[in-house]
Amino acid sequence: MDLSFLLLTIISRLDGERSIYASYHLLRGKRSGQTLQDVEYYSLKGFFCILPRLKIDVFDGAINHLKKAGYISIDEDSVVYITKKGKEVLHTLPLYRFNGWDYRGREHVFFSRLSLIVQTASYFRADQKSFMPMQNDYDIQLFVKEFLLKQRILDEEFSNQLFQELRNSIEQSGMNGCQKTIFVHRLGGYKHAGWTWKQLSDEMGIKPFTLSLYYIESLHMLLQTISQSSKYPLLTEIIKNIQVSTYLTESTIKTKELFNQGMSMQKISQLRHLKMSTIEDHFVEISINDQSFPIEEFVSATEIAAVVAKSSELGTKRLRLLKEEFPSLTYFQLRLILGTGSRGGAKWISNQSC
Amino acid sequence: MDIKSILLKKFGFEHFRVGQEEVIRNVISNRDTIAILPTGSGKSLCYQLPAYIKNGAVLIISPLVALMEDQVAIMKKNGEKRVVAINSFLAYKDRQRIMNRLDLYKFIFISPEMLMQNNVAEQIKKLKIAFIVVDEAHCISQWGFDFRPDYLRIGEFLKQLERPNILALTATADNQVLGDIINYLRLETPAVHKHSLDRKNISYSMKQMNSEHEKTAWILERTKKTAGPGIIYVASRKRADELAIYLKEHGISIASYHAGMEQEDRAFIQEQFITGEINWICATTAFGMGIHKNDIRQVIHENMSSTIAGYMQEVGRAGRDGDLSAATLLFTEEDIGKTRFIVQNDLPTETEVRHYFNLIKEGSSKNEATQLSGISETGTRIIDYYLERMPMESALLKIKEQKTEKEKQLQNMLHIINGENCIRKSLLKFYGETLVAAPASCCSVCGLGEEDWLFEMKRGNSTRQIVDWADRLARLLQS
Ligand SMILES: [Zn+2]
Repeated sequence: MDLSFLLLTIISRLDGERSIYASYHLLRGKRSGQTLQDVEYYSLKGFFCILPRLKIDVFDGAINHLKKAGYISIDEDSVVYITKKGKEVLHTLPLYRFNGWDYRGREHVFFSRLSLIVQTASYFRADQKSFMPMQNDYDIQLFVKEFLLKQRILDEEFSNQLFQELRNSIEQSGMNGCQKTIFVHRLGGYKHAGWTWKQLSDEMGIKPFTLSLYYIESLHMLLQTISQSSKYPLLTEIIKNIQVSTYLTESTIKTKELFNQGMSMQKISQLRHLKMSTIEDHFVEISINDQSFPIEEFVSATEIAAVVAKSSELGTKRLRLLKEEFPSLTYFQLRLILGTGSRGGAKWISNQSC
Repeated sequence: MDIKSILLKKFGFEHFRVGQEEVIRNVISNRDTIAILPTGSGKSLCYQLPAYIKNGAVLIISPLVALMEDQVAIMKKNGEKRVVAINSFLAYKDRQRIMNRLDLYKFIFISPEMLMQNNVAEQIKKLKIAFIVVDEAHCISQWGFDFRPDYLRIGEFLKQLERPNILALTATADNQVLGDIINYLRLETPAVHKHSLDRKNISYSMKQMNSEHEKTAWILERTKKTAGPGIIYVASRKRADELAIYLKEHGISIASYHAGMEQEDRAFIQEQFITGEINWICATTAFGMGIHKNDIRQVIHENMSSTIAGYMQEVGRAGRDGDLSAATLLFTEEDIGKTRFIVQNDLPTETEVRHYFNLIKEGSSKNEATQLSGISETGTRIIDYYLERMPMESALLKIKEQKTEKEKQLQNMLHIINGENCIRKSLLKFYGETLVAAPASCCSVCGLGEEDWLFEMKRGNSTRQIVDWADRLARLLQS
């Protein structure tokens, strides 16, 4: 797995519709109206926020690589296109199983909890009650402490069960060989310290960045497996509150509350001292995520049907093009229509859908 | 309960180590105390034990976050849960939580810059403080190798407080530094305990080389043929990675260790080093403070150190178990120039200071001014401190004095490296000590004596290997 090819998959969906930096904001999980909307319009939820700390020079490097190889082209407005050559390689790429939309970086919290629990179980098994915790975040330590208080940690049965659950869920998750290796070597315990990224990279002959992509994907896969099954009671407890509970930004939640109280957009804008365009962003975000959003208060059913039909006829979700077709509708109305049109939970993302 | 029974009950030791008991008795009797004890001689017991006798919390001011976190982790590991570290790395929510319940803690570690924050200081003033510890107290001295202007502010904090007695701890302090400690902390007729800094079980070698290439070749031979565990100190993170890769390719069990790594990865390396899964660590001098391992047999410096005090502190990590250990420093002619450049570059030039000053006056933020004037971070901290207290011309003079001081320290180190005198004797002389009797394995000038132990490879270079995933899981949870 390579950042360039990951980007190629993303770009294949944004083909001719968005600037190259839309994919950068997507990977970093920028919570702006535009990015949240892109995620929805182009079915990119899985990739949202999988690399929150991605550096711009690393991103540019990967893009240059794709340009040089002739897989993509970028026009003077920075809009990105996938070339014929690019489409050909697309089929050779792996199926990505990221689920960034649901976890948004919290997968690392899950792993830190697990890491400390495994370390503790391992040391306790060896009758070592005092050790240096590999995780020094207070919230993680507190969670693990409370978790362990509820378990019979001194009983060998505890680590046996943890072992069984981990082994079975890893097998069930569909991780590939590399991912399983990375996952278990990032865990450590008595007489078996964890491996650093550098050590894994040297030993496995895989670039550190690629390792981290594999790793993040494997966490998403495992989390999905655990959350969909009742066979892993310990792990189910460990993944508590890892999945994001609301898909809305905090500011949007406030707007939504006021709207539910019956306030108009104008009124909300005045009350919150926010620009009208910001409130519009909030409404688009709500329309995307909330099944019960009353879109009919803003546009008629006929208008919706017409726009949806035109959008698929032209094969575009670019607002400027649709606006030319429907001069009577505002940009805001168009965004609402596109938003509700693509509503739904996070889906597995595969290349077949491209 | 008397202190001997506490020693046994709380810490599990039958006897004090040399120097500890006198310090502890002074602290208990509310006297200001300075303890100059070599690294690894059990400094922390000097405040931990009295804490159990006296009412109230102990406030420990410590300069390095890494060091602080480390000490807290060790104390927690040893069963003391009422311990906390307050520093700027603490997340806001954690800080709030801790500050609101400060009375829960017996041991409060705090960085000097946090003491300067009004709300923090207010909370601390409300507490009953048993006594105050100033760790690494030499940082308060402009003459120290590790001067931290923030430390000077400790004195200002103490002024606001009806203060209990103070224990100043350091591993290295010559008379000039000692004077500064007494002055700035306003100690009242302190009891000074100075334990000999001579570490008889460590032998010192200085080796001149012709090129960097020759150094690398020497290190490879050395790590191949002589005993670990050991630390190799290098000048930069990049070099640490580079050298570790090179040696690893030649079959040495080694990893690099520096501040550029994630916390989790650093913890893994520490653990691997302590358990013996890896035999060598390649670290930058700025880092590696937090390595606690008693059986380190060798410390190798790939470059010249810029001060004797810094060198002593790094070398001091060897042989804490009392067994024979070797310290080797490699240097080339060019090293001297390079080291001088780095050291002097740390301090800003007159033009830079004036530029910085003008930028601030014109309304630039501190960050902008730092970047535009090209001054190092340490540099700005020093300037800020001076400029707040004195006119520009005096500040410039102060900085100039410091440059001269740094050069002097470099000369002292050079004197030892190039000298024809016993290295041990020269090092001790620097601290005003006289060498009574040299051990058999003394130094590269006197002769290193029989070094059989060094060539006994007790542990082969271990073979860490990736194993099957299910096997590893079983080793962690089933063995
Ligand atoms: Zn000698």
